[in-house]
Amino acid sequence: MNRSLGGLTPWLIQRLSAVLMLAFIGFVLAHFLVDPPASYEGWRSWAGEPGVGIAACLFSVALLAHAWVGLRDVTLDYVKPLATRITVLTLIALALLGTGLWIFRILWLGRA
Amino acid sequence: MKFSIYRFDPEQDAKPYMQTFDQPVGVNDHMLLDVILRIKEQDNTLTIRKSCREGVCGSDAININGRNGLACITRVRDLKEPVILRPLPSFPVIRDLVVDMTRFYAQYASVKPWLINDDPPPERERLQSPEERDRLDGLYECILCGCCTSQCPSSWWNPEKFVGPAGLVQADRFIADSRDRATKARLDDLNDVYRLFRCRSIMNCTEVCPKGLAPSRAIESIRLNLLKEAL
Repeated sequence: MNRSLGGLTPWLIQRLSAVLMLAFIGFVLAHFLVDPPASYEGWRSWAGEPGVGIAACLFSVALLAHAWVGLRDVTLDYVKPLATRITVLTLIALALLGTGLWIFRILWLGRA
Repeated sequence: MKFSIYRFDPEQDAKPYMQTFDQPVGVNDHMLLDVILRIKEQDNTLTIRKSCREGVCGSDAININGRNGLACITRVRDLKEPVILRPLPSFPVIRDLVVDMTRFYAQYASVKPWLINDDPPPERERLQSPEERDRLDGLYECILCGCCTSQCPSSWWNPEKFVGPAGLVQADRFIADSRDRATKARLDDLNDVYRLFRCRSIMNCTEVCPKGLAPSRAIESIRLNLLKEAL
């Protein structure tokens, strides 16, 4: 039994995050089709709207969660020795954490 | 017709090799198994497992031109030449086309494929409504030939830990049974990163099942039952 690694929960996170990402991608594509920004400034001001910012933030969280479950699953399949597995999982976690901070910097600090 | 057949006798061969046979297909040789048995008349060291020769026992599951199937219900004239025959992928080979199914049966046994009901037995039988009985359709027909599990990449990577499509069909068969009282215990047992959730919906199982069953649907049904239980 590997209860600590979870069964249903990670699977559910992966599905829900996929739905959320799909909705955001659809929303962005629809916006660019219906009302494309005329210039970089126009795009920036649209991206800076609070609603879009919150949606982008949710998208990023979903992306990171989705990537974590997926990469973790690949690691569980292919990396069997425990020490190597822990190292790989730690590296993935650090890379995703770094990506998260980078996204945060763009979304929040980039506004200033 | 040209056949290229996997040969391996662990008592004599250092490693497996492919042997070519040119076997005329007679008017009464309809199925692949008929022709394999003709080849065996030429070379009786060729080993294959078979029994019912009509797709009921599941003994003669082999890999035919890269795809698992039952030799006895595979029409030989539909096959592309040379017909390449190998034992079921990922299963340990005992000899030629015969594989060791021990691990497969152990996974099957691990889902407790029997009715668990400690209620006092009724005088005659435990009745089901026709609708309750219908829920077992598409599940009970599995003949445990191993075609699905042997073609499942998730089973290749984790054969000891992932139950595999065949075992999960059996698990769902008892989860869906209205007479069974161990549904929660069965679901709890499968709520595990390896036992059930190694399945990535690759769906090779459903693609190759010689009985036309859909193990991937059974797996989905178990996941949905787990979700219902959690909510």
